[in-house]
Parts: sequence; structure tokens; C-alpha cells
Amino acid sequence: MTTTNQEFSKFFEDVHWLMDVLQNIDVGLVVMDQSYKVVLWNSFMQNHSGKAPEQVLQRSIFSVFPELSETWFKHKAQSVFVLQNATFTTWEQRPYLFRFPHYRPITGTAEHMYQNSTIIPLVDSKGHVEQICLIVYDVTDTAVNKIAQQQANHQLQNLSRTDHLTGLYNRGYWELRLIQEFKRFDRYDLSSTLIMMDIDHFKKVNDKYGHTVGDDVIRQVSRAIKEQVRDLDIAGRYGGEEFGLILTGTDAYGASIFAERLRTTIEKMVVISEGQQVRFTISMGISQLSDKIADHRNWIEKADAALYQSKEGGRNRFTIAS
Amino acid sequence: MRANLLTEDQRDCLQEITNVAMGRAGDRLARLLDVFVVLSIPHVSILNPTDIAMALHSLNRESTDVVHGVCQGFIGGGIAGEAMLIFNGTDFNDLAKLLQYDRVADEQAEYELLMDTANVLNGACLKGLAEQLDTHFSFGPPMLLGQHCNITDLLQNNNMTWKQALVVEINYSIENHKINCDLLIVIAEHSIKGLTEKLDYLLD
Repeated sequence: MTTTNQEFSKFFEDVHWLMDVLQNIDVGLVVMDQSYKVVLWNSFMQNHSGKAPEQVLQRSIFSVFPELSETWFKHKAQSVFVLQNATFTTWEQRPYLFRFPHYRPITGTAEHMYQNSTIIPLVDSKGHVEQICLIVYDVTDTAVNKIAQQQANHQLQNLSRTDHLTGLYNRGYWELRLIQEFKRFDRYDLSSTLIMMDIDHFKKVNDKYGHTVGDDVIRQVSRAIKEQVRDLDIAGRYGGEEFGLILTGTDAYGASIFAERLRTTIEKMVVISEGQQVRFTISMGISQLSDKIADHRNWIEKADAALYQSKEGGRNRFTIAS
Repeated sequence: MRANLLTEDQRDCLQEITNVAMGRAGDRLARLLDVFVVLSIPHVSILNPTDIAMALHSLNRESTDVVHGVCQGFIGGGIAGEAMLIFNGTDFNDLAKLLQYDRVADEQAEYELLMDTANVLNGACLKGLAEQLDTHFSFGPPMLLGQHCNITDLLQNNNMTWKQALVVEINYSIENHKINCDLLIVIAEHSIKGLTEKLDYLLD
């Protein structure tokens, strides 16, 4: 009799300190049954949500936390019940399950806690999963750092792709996109057309008005290009006064309409710079991708040859490569 | 076999128990997803880091092919490793249909779908394998290659310090869905002791 009593009291002592660990561990613990009623709610959850156990216990988690999507969570939990297999959520896919506002006034870095979570099956003595345990981790610091790093990388990437004078893509990145477009055509047979474009007698503009005016001319042409290309087109500054435009999903006919519109816009344009009024024109060569074009270099050569013909033919015009 | 990580007998035994494990996994998946899952016979081989690097390389987003990979670590019973699920030519809408998600709203939802699928498939297979070996694995969270970790960094950092790894390869396809993936269970040489012990026990 005494032994049993001792065993009992030892057992209760053990359970007592185990519960202490569960209560005070610095991760959120929520145990739920098959109808998603909460049966355990530890201090982490209580303190961050501001909801005491009596407000939460024996109630459906979805009724207490409307921000937790019921369909989504049930999907996740279903595989835990059926497969007896843990499942995971990460902040990258879903920033949080429970919206816990930030609480550190000095070192807090985000508006809300970013959370990763794991849902584990709790197998009973008969081998059935009647309850699941949701474990919530605070990953705010990691998330904030990673987001900052991604933003910095993104900015660097944009900088390294952009031509500083015009804001168009620089030659390196533009050529990379040209190669990609060529490969896409090779695989999916989507039409695509390249326009190589050059400002007529640009050297004379520079000689007559100076380089500042020349730069302004290039900027204005770039602006006109940016206004006229569509979202998916790829415009880059190829050389000093030469530009390359890749019109995706467009044939030579479509490109010629675009080229004519750009040509008239530039023809009518007056650039006012350093008190001078400058007028100028552009010439273009158009080459639609076809099976006859061997690689991306060959594609540029075709468009360049057509551009040369436009120059020979008197400038201020476009030519479609044969 | 390129080296003696496993004896012929151990290899045959592993092949057999993975086969049984896959049968069970197929059954579990069928119950959860209500579809018929076609699982190939598991193929056991020995690979070195270069082989894995090549597989990773093919997943690098810089290539135009849309191939996704999800890695998930597991450990238990003196065995540890990583399961890598490679999705070849998988249709997101079919994947969403499979997991009964309403819709694939954006890129993040697509990623979540990949991770959930990987978690379910990996979990089913590895749980089956653990059962056969009379042990229990703990799982880490699934990591989407290219999102949770940068593939180029993985390739450059040269962090694969092992020389050989045991690899079990299983191909999945799902009837009437455009879903095809390869699961590689990679167990590096230093994490294999528990496995060989269990295999010897089964062979005795």
C-alpha cells in the first residue's frame, strides 16, 4: 500500500515538473482534438495572445483566432491525422498563424511576430491520433534579417543591370535576355522580333552642341522608348547611341508598326538643352526570329545589316531584314 | 557498388524493405489523397558529392527548365540523412487538385504546395522505412531549394564533406494527374551505422 502511494506521489511530482517545462518553454504549444478544440494552451501562447486559458480551452481554435484560415489549417492538419506525419509551415509562405503584435519597444524590428510552426501527431495508447500538437516558433529576427538581405540583393541586382545615363538595361544584361529569348524561341516557337536602332548623325550633334546636349538627346530617346514599349519588351542601350529592343511575342509586321510610331515620335521631338533646340531622327533595322537564324549573335547581325540598309537608304526609316 | 558501404546481402535486404515500405506508403497516400499512386521499385546505389551537385545544378533557376526540388532532413535510430524530392514537369493545378487546395493564387502558394506535397510524400516513405527498421525518425522542416536556401551557395560552399552516400531512388507518378517526381533518400557514410546494424539484425 505504502509503495503504491510513494509511486503515485513520484508520478505526480514528475508530471508536475514536466508541465512546468511545457508551460514555460519559449515556444508556443497548442494541443487540439479532432474538432480543433483547444485542450492545452501554454504560457507562450497565453502571454503573446493576451488570452487566458479559460478564454481558449474547450473552444474551437478558429472561433478564438479568426485570422487562422480554417480551410488551410484543416488541410494541413488532415495529413497529420491520417498519415500520423508531422507537417510544417514557414514564414516565407505564410508570415504568421496567429497575429501577435511586436512587444519589444527597443529591439523589436517588425510589426508582428513571424512564425514557423510544426504540427505533430499525438498517438494514443491504441495507436490512433486523437489529438495534434501545434508548435509555434518565433522567427521574427531571422525573417527580418533575411528580408533586409533580399531587398539589398534586389537593389544591387537592379543597379548592375541598369545603364546609368538612360535607365534602360545595360548591354551585358540586355544580351543575356536576348540569349534567353532566343532559347525560348528554339523551344516553344514563339515569335519574337529584334529592332536595332541608332540616332542619325549623332556625332554631329555632339560636335556641334557638346556632350551635355548629346547626353540629353540620348536620355530623351530613351524616355520615348520606355513610354512606347510594352511590359514584356526588353529595351537596352547597346552602345553609345545604339539601342536594342526585343519585342516579345511580336512578328516583323507588328514590329514595323512599333518602329514607325517611334520614328515619327522622334522626328517630331525637339530637345531643349543648354539653350539650344535640337532636332534629329533615328534609323532602325528589324529582324524577326526564324529557323534560319543560327544563334543570338546571328540575330543581331541580321538586324544590324537591316539598320545599315536604312542608313544607306537615306536614314530616318526602318528596314525589315530579308 | 562503387564501394563497400553495404555488402551485397545488406543491399538486397535494403532494397526489399524499401520495397515493402513503399507499398505501405502508397497505401497511406491513397487513403489521404484518394488517388492511385504509382511507385517505382526503389533503386539503391552509392553516389558521391559530384553526383548530388549535378542533381542540384539541374535545379538551378538560372536554367530555363522549371524543375523544383525540396529537401527535408531526418534523423533517428542511428540513421540520418536527407530526402530530396525533385518535381519534373509537374502541373501546379494538378498538384493543387491532388491536395484539394482551392486554387494556386500566387508564387508563394505554389511554393507552399510543393512543400506540402514533399512533406506528405517524404513522410509516407520515410515513415514506412522507419517502421521496417523498427525505429522512428524526427523530421526537419522541408526546404525549398532556391527559396529557403540558395543553390549556387550550396554548390560553391563545398559543404558536402562526405565522400560517399547511400541513395535510395524512387519514382512517383499519380494516376490521371500530371505529376511526376523522383525521391532521393540520401544517407551519408557517417550516418549509416544504425542502418547496417538493423540490416544485419534482419539478415540473421
